[in-house]
Amino acid sequence: MIKIAIPTYGSGGLNEVMNRRFGRCDTFTFVTIENNHISEVKSVENHARGESGGVGIQATQIVGNHKANEVIVDFLGPNAADSLNALKIKIYHTPSVELTVKELIDLRLSEKLQLMTSGNVGAHQGMKQGKESRR
Amino acid sequence: MKKPKIICVTGGKGGTGKTMVAVNLAIMFKNRGLKVLLIDGDVENPNTYLLLNSKLENKTEVHYFLPKIVEDKCNKCGLCAENCATHALLHIKDSIPIPISTVCSGCKLCYKICPTNAIEADLKVIGWIYTSSAFNIDLLVGELKPSEARSAIIVKALMEKLDKITITEDNKYNVVILDTAPGTHCDVEELISQADLVITVTEPTRFGKLDLIRIIELINLLKKEYKAIVNRSSLLGYKDKFLLDLEENSIDILGDIPLDEDIVRSYCQGIPLMENSRKSDKNGAGYESFNQIFENLMEWGDL
Repeated sequence: MIKIAIPTYGSGGLNEVMNRRFGRCDTFTFVTIENNHISEVKSVENHARGESGGVGIQATQIVGNHKANEVIVDFLGPNAADSLNALKIKIYHTPSVELTVKELIDLRLSEKLQLMTSGNVGAHQGMKQGKESRR
Repeated sequence: MKKPKIICVTGGKGGTGKTMVAVNLAIMFKNRGLKVLLIDGDVENPNTYLLLNSKLENKTEVHYFLPKIVEDKCNKCGLCAENCATHALLHIKDSIPIPISTVCSGCKLCYKICPTNAIEADLKVIGWIYTSSAFNIDLLVGELKPSEARSAIIVKALMEKLDKITITEDNKYNVVILDTAPGTHCDVEELISQADLVITVTEPTRFGKLDLIRIIELINLLKKEYKAIVNRSSLLGYKDKFLLDLEENSIDILGDIPLDEDIVRSYCQGIPLMENSRKSDKNGAGYESFNQIFENLMEWGDL
């Protein structure tokens, strides 16, 4: 069984587009995979998103507390990367910005996602995109 | 017990001559027979000792706190992570918290509130404090370790050392001069908050004025008395307009220092302009301006 966390917009869900920001996403959509099939989908609000700092660590705490063992992300800050690594959560990088949770899960199941081990943006980069429109 | 008068030399903008002013004021107080301690609180670039042609001696380490979790004692309650203001502890239900050292502020709250005393201090060197003396002035210098960010910890350590000196060694100093970093950040705030008088050194440029207004905002927040020194006042013939500008903004002026080759020469020699043993033109523009500033300062500060 694997449980994948994906940062999402609004209330999340399989048909929602991935949020480019990890620490400051609205929701995390958790997708459980058993025998190569989706067995459960659950969205959890990211209560850390509005804070001034340390959101990568708190977001990781949410992901960890829901027992996810993988995440799929686009932008990832250094503290989030350190935290995910500390919990030995696998980090996959999305190949495109416009994909839905369902599409990302399909890519993951066909093993078309790249693993990453460190952050790809500096600290506080997520704040700058705070007002970016969603699509 | 008589406490020393503490004068803070700051100014907002970098390169306005804060250190040059601080060093020469220290020399002038010493010339009057007063016992002077000069503290270099520009811990990212301490260079008072260079102007005094001195060396950094008697190195002592400054430490800061990082949490270290003793796994046998930890009951995994997560109280530390819940209360950490910078979220420097990562806690997953029913597991041992993981410190994320890069965001830790060193506040020790986790250490104090842990119900099972499972957090120990993991002390790291963040910089150093040096003491030395030159031209009969005692020097206390702080230096931040390169790559470290939390410079305010060094400034705090300098102020703790000053406290210790004033408490344990009665009347050791009559005057303490604090030289600050440029900017309006915590390091500068800490030093200004300790001062009896604040001198803001500026220059007649747009940058100089803008940063002067910013530092004055900080000084007002801290409810301190200040006066400005305009360095390089003869620059581009802008002096009168600039001084008028300050007056219009109700900024009191302690004096101005014109461009003077003798000041540059003293820099290169490593002997402060106002040092008596230095062979200099006692009628030079720089020399005279410093004497005037000193007189105004004595009057203002009731020294």
